[in-house]
Amino acid sequence: MGFRYIGKTFERTDGYAKVTGAAQYVADLKLPRMLHVQILRPEFAHARIQSIDTSEAERSDGVVRVVAGKDYPLFFSASGFYDQRPLAVDKVRHAGEPVAAVIADTLDHAKQALPKIKVVYEPLPVLLDPVEAARNKAVLIHEQLGGYRHLDSHFPEPGTNIFHHYRLRKGDIEAGFKEADVFVEAEFEVSLSAHSAMEPHGAVCRWDGKDQVEIWASTQAPFAVQQAVAEMFGLPHARVRVHVLYLGGGFGGKSDVTIEPMVACVARAVPGVAVRYVCSRKEVMTSTVLGRGVKARARLGARKDGTFTAFRAELYFSDGAYGDAAANIVTVAGHNCVGPYAIEHCHVDSYGVYTNTPPVGAYRGYGHPEGCFISERLVDMMARKLSLSPLDLRRKNFLSEGKRNSLGETIRDHNGDLFKCLQNVENELFSRPKPPEDDRYLYGRGVASMMKSPKGAPNASSCCQIKFCADGSVHVNLGGIEMGQGAQQAMRQIAAEALRIPPDRVSVFREVDTQHSPWEWQTVASMFTYRGGNAILKTAERAIRVLKESAATVLRVLPGDLDYDGESVFLRTDPDRKVAVKDLARGYMYENGLTIGEVAEATAGDRIPGYVEPDPKFGMGTAGGTWTFGCQGCELRVDKKTGEVIIDQFISSFDVGRVISPQMIRGQIVGGVAMGIGQTLKEKIEFSDQGKIINATWVRYKMPRIHDIPKKQTVILVETPEKRGPFGARCVAEHPMVAVAPTILNALYDATGHDFFRLPVFPKDIVEALP
Amino acid sequence: MKEWITLTVNGVRRTVPCEPKARLLDILRDALGLTGAKEGCGYGACGSCTVVVNGEAVKACTLRGKEKLDGAEVVTIEGLTDREGNLHPIQEAFLRAGAVQCGFCTPGFIMRLYALFRNKPSASEDEIREALSENLCRCTGYEAIWEAAVLAQELLKGTRLT
Repeated sequence: MGFRYIGKTFERTDGYAKVTGAAQYVADLKLPRMLHVQILRPEFAHARIQSIDTSEAERSDGVVRVVAGKDYPLFFSASGFYDQRPLAVDKVRHAGEPVAAVIADTLDHAKQALPKIKVVYEPLPVLLDPVEAARNKAVLIHEQLGGYRHLDSHFPEPGTNIFHHYRLRKGDIEAGFKEADVFVEAEFEVSLSAHSAMEPHGAVCRWDGKDQVEIWASTQAPFAVQQAVAEMFGLPHARVRVHVLYLGGGFGGKSDVTIEPMVACVARAVPGVAVRYVCSRKEVMTSTVLGRGVKARARLGARKDGTFTAFRAELYFSDGAYGDAAANIVTVAGHNCVGPYAIEHCHVDSYGVYTNTPPVGAYRGYGHPEGCFISERLVDMMARKLSLSPLDLRRKNFLSEGKRNSLGETIRDHNGDLFKCLQNVENELFSRPKPPEDDRYLYGRGVASMMKSPKGAPNASSCCQIKFCADGSVHVNLGGIEMGQGAQQAMRQIAAEALRIPPDRVSVFREVDTQHSPWEWQTVASMFTYRGGNAILKTAERAIRVLKESAATVLRVLPGDLDYDGESVFLRTDPDRKVAVKDLARGYMYENGLTIGEVAEATAGDRIPGYVEPDPKFGMGTAGGTWTFGCQGCELRVDKKTGEVIIDQFISSFDVGRVISPQMIRGQIVGGVAMGIGQTLKEKIEFSDQGKIINATWVRYKMPRIHDIPKKQTVILVETPEKRGPFGARCVAEHPMVAVAPTILNALYDATGHDFFRLPVFPKDIVEALP
Repeated sequence: MKEWITLTVNGVRRTVPCEPKARLLDILRDALGLTGAKEGCGYGACGSCTVVVNGEAVKACTLRGKEKLDGAEVVTIEGLTDREGNLHPIQEAFLRAGAVQCGFCTPGFIMRLYALFRNKPSASEDEIREALSENLCRCTGYEAIWEAAVLAQELLKGTRLT
């Protein structure tokens, strides 16, 4: 099948605006009569609020209003667990929580008034360790846990700090371990880390009267913001309008809702006036969401021949002060820590635990990196114990045609080919001998395999609207957010292919606006190319049908006898009998003005069919739906003196189904690996005993810079078309980050002979481990 | 209270009122409406606000006050295209190499390279990497930015940077 526009690289739709600085992000937005907001944060990570006195701050220069939590005793949620308030009311649960807000004429005036707000706190014990917090029934971060409204897919344990417990019970775990000859077991830890999208979170909000509000927000999820804000105020959802301008990176940190409900509450104090709030970098790290944070123990059993028989794990997520955004991550990590293997007996308990840190939210990979870290380290340990090649051991147990994953879903050939991915990595990584140890360096190689499926609301959809212009060019509108990943570019290529119209005649949406854009659940889970692409294909079919129906009347034939080639609609058996698309766009007009037929506009949507929440008793069900498989490998050097790790080669091979845009896919993979390297070797949010983040700056929180990343990565794509993906494409965006940590740690073992189980691994940890 | 500062920005003389110790970044973004320079951190760690001041790449969030700014020659990302809107070779190279994702760090990286190649057209690989290490990008993993820099240097050969 030859493609005209799929699989080729075109200039990004947003490229010109971005290289010229014309692209407008939310912090660049100015509205008339706009006021500025600053937020008071508490001195304690866990305390009761005894009183708030705002009178002095209200008299401060330029201050228009001061807003405190008691003004808005409301709850909000994006994911179905209503445990969070826009501003703290009676209690603060982490040190970055909003306590009060100042609205002033200038940013400086707002800042000056903050210390004039007097708050009296009664400090409470601070819980930071998830295992300890899960056991501690004397200190409860949410005393009212049992009273919170939630969806049926959440399982809180009232009277404890556990807000969600996911249980996986597949097969008979005891029998599974009895069948095994060999066991490996380990404890794992992944630190909390910061997404660190370059653009800080921000929002501009204006109430038009008391029952209608408009928000310009840095969000991946405008429709989730719309729903959460409307629900919170009891407004019809349609009265909340959310705009997204250019978005400067997301990585999950701008999904669900973060600052928007708070800003909407603050703005309500000054109806008719726009207020602007942009987080400082520190506030992004202390007061939006963090990622990861887990302590776990896991055990894998195998027969002598290498067949895995049983897997047991217990995971405690340190999810911070609120659980709404984290609960589904807990579930997903629970059923994915089994790895991309067919294991008959699985027993997992995954706990979401409240702690006194900023809440955890979606972060590139959504529970999969945490899970993959566990499975891939255990598999390497098992290979050593069985004296098998870690690659062959993986091959023996890989998910493939007819095998069932931990959720009990049956994998088919069209779901992707782990064997090819691993072969690609093997060919590259072992194409030459590994350098022997020298005076300065130890050398190591490692591989890891991964799978990822999306997790979303079961009804999560992408919708598309196509409208033809009078010259036959086309508007294609969707509600997915371009946050750098190249979504619009992929959409333009898919639309051009589907409509057989050159990409320069296809205008894809730029801004997303809940008023004008078709519904999109959220731009998360790497789903947009897959689901949005399908929405385009369905919509294009409908739009072409409209054109054919009009043309059939004009040509006095049946629509079924007509064909369409992007320029005209013509009779299949006599292509000279045709009508130009441009003459059908607004219906067909005869010379006397009489117009017939429908306007050539259409809309349609797509969702993963049959998708359900895991069963409450066994934790199984069609909760994966579609998968992307991949393998990664690396060769690295360890400086024996300093413990510094230099990654000389990093190889990624993913089965992406079909390449839509080669440049965008490479960008996702190379960038995801870089982020994974940061998570593995550099990035860690650190707390004082009292729960304050002590490295909430980009000076002390170390993100990778250019010299931390291999100059040229190896990317090898496998294309096994997915049965229902657009042109066979499947999801790839978060995936490159999922297996990076175990790949590096497996290589570190190869280099040093030491097993690391904690992320990140700092040079000092390596120096300590070296003999 | 307010002081008047005169600067030349992208070839145009501008006199603006600003608070004492106002940051160059705020003068550009708020007083002059040049929002191409971005604030990623506010303390010179990320380089998203990089502009060129008197021929040198500077993080505009760290430069403040009349003393340092009066009379300065500033080039920002808004000053790089020609009058017809044609892209500068560095901008062109970023697009061709796929070095642009979310775009928030892009103006800073481009201005960093603009200053480097203006002062040192044949900068070595090490010098280019050193310059790029001043700026943070969270999307690309730097590979494409590096390739864009190399391509830009090639495109610029024979052209004189103004």
